[in-house]
Amino acid sequence: MTSSTHPFEQEEVMAYLDGELSANRAASVASHLRECPECAALAEQMRDVSTQLSNWGVEPAPASLTKSLNAARAERAVAKVRKPRGFAGSLDGKFLPVRNRWVWGAASAAALVILLLSIGLPSLRREQHPVGMARQLAYVQQAEIEQKAKNEAAASEAEAFIAQARTSPAPTPEATQPMIARSASVSLIVKDFGPLEASVKAIAQRHNGYIASLNSTSPQDAARALTATLRIPSVQLESAIAELKQLGHVEQESQSGEEVTKEFTDRAARMKNARATEQRLLDVLRNHTGQVKDILATEQEIARVRGDIEQMQADQQALQTRVDFATVELSVQEEYKASLQSAPPSTGRRLRNAAVEGYRSVVESVIGFGVWALQSLPTVLLWGFVLFAPARWLWKRLRRTAVSQS
Amino acid sequence: MTSDEQLILELQQGSEEAFTELFLRYRERVYGFFRRRMNDAAQAEELAQETFLAVLRAAHRYEPRATFRAYLFGIAFNILSAHRRKSGLDSMRIDSAPDEVPDPSGTNPDNVIWVRQAVERLDAPEREVLLLREFEELSYEEIAKILRAPVNTVRSRLFRARMALREILATTPGNLGARK
Repeated sequence: MTSSTHPFEQEEVMAYLDGELSANRAASVASHLRECPECAALAEQMRDVSTQLSNWGVEPAPASLTKSLNAARAERAVAKVRKPRGFAGSLDGKFLPVRNRWVWGAASAAALVILLLSIGLPSLRREQHPVGMARQLAYVQQAEIEQKAKNEAAASEAEAFIAQARTSPAPTPEATQPMIARSASVSLIVKDFGPLEASVKAIAQRHNGYIASLNSTSPQDAARALTATLRIPSVQLESAIAELKQLGHVEQESQSGEEVTKEFTDRAARMKNARATEQRLLDVLRNHTGQVKDILATEQEIARVRGDIEQMQADQQALQTRVDFATVELSVQEEYKASLQSAPPSTGRRLRNAAVEGYRSVVESVIGFGVWALQSLPTVLLWGFVLFAPARWLWKRLRRTAVSQS
Repeated sequence: MTSDEQLILELQQGSEEAFTELFLRYRERVYGFFRRRMNDAAQAEELAQETFLAVLRAAHRYEPRATFRAYLFGIAFNILSAHRRKSGLDSMRIDSAPDEVPDPSGTNPDNVIWVRQAVERLDAPEREVLLLREFEELSYEEIAKILRAPVNTVRSRLFRARMALREILATTPGNLGARK
């Protein structure tokens, strides 16, 4: 069945069945199917394939999906309390109905406790470590006496260490959409410099952003200038830039975006692997009943892996912030109006200035001579020493010649 | 009834009820999406959960140009691809046949095995197009966007997939295992 014998390709018949053709084309195909048994048979086979595929059902989604999703949403809500300035945090506020504000308060308190624990536990762990070692040493001494005894103390220490190591598991975010770290640069020239700083701050605040740095200069005989780095939620970047551009005449504007999806995904994968490694090490530690040096080595390895995980979490968080918040480099120059000098300096001032300049000139020339002398003297002495003998000899010979001629 | 697209726009405005409604509408279909592509039911459940969390997290990125269904399954496909990349698997493969056959209500388990084995025998790109069309009910254009392929390519793959499946299903069920 080809277009030479049929007015429609087979794929077009299929597209007709899938409702993918335009109305006119679909009417033509439908008409052809009524007349062409071959194409009608193809259409029937297509329908039959779809019917047979519909036999492939799956079991209903487990009820735990709803529960686990709700739990994950609750965790997510609590986690976001720890990011008060984040754009996502401001979104969360919108997500909460008014009647649940007391829940939000409770979540904030829980987040505070988690924060305090996360700060306090690492130092606690460091302090408890020697205690754990001592207890394990005591166990080994006991084990040497009673070869068949179980290592209860070491087991309890291992449990304690496991409990500590599991204090701050962080969720691994998935980069499901392209992640773009956006940045922009805007240079403006403004006539009215006075309210500029307040305007820039207001724009950043209005767009749920903040000012990362701000530097303003006001030289006496030159135009005033302001440079600022603004962090604006990426979704509001365009509107924020539009407002900034209204502050004055745009001299230069540029925008760029860096895709960090791969970096984010790779790091998430590395974090997952590191967590799996940590879990295996914790299992080893939990079941270990051997030498204390092996236990200590395992603990050291766990601490190293945990450090790596925390470092990666911090980097991941920083990357997420770069994606969530675009960076805007703002540079503003005042339109310079040269002002007339109010009055020439007085004679006394001019004489004083001249005296100061004269003194400076003398000091500079003395220092300059000293510098020259220190730089050149060694060379002059060297060549003087080298050339003294031949010069003396030449001088004496010339004198003898002059005397003999006279 | 409020449309899916209206609901996601309400979600953008912060409506929890809109998200709950979307979840109830698509819970089974998203779970089915993963379940048909992987053997491990627990893993399918986890990825379905991740998909809905991603919808929640990225709701502000939704633009009304696309249908919500295409947006949702686009996210699900990305999550599945990411999961398979991490697991070192081909991004379009189906896990090996399950030891325990799912218990689909109202369908004959023999047919389920038969159809599943037949689909597994298709080439991976053609199989993915077929699944997205038959079960997720996406248009050619929506499938093309998700797979980042031209629409004509999607149409050709779908046609080849259906033709191949017709041939495979025409054989007797008993021959499937022997031929595999």
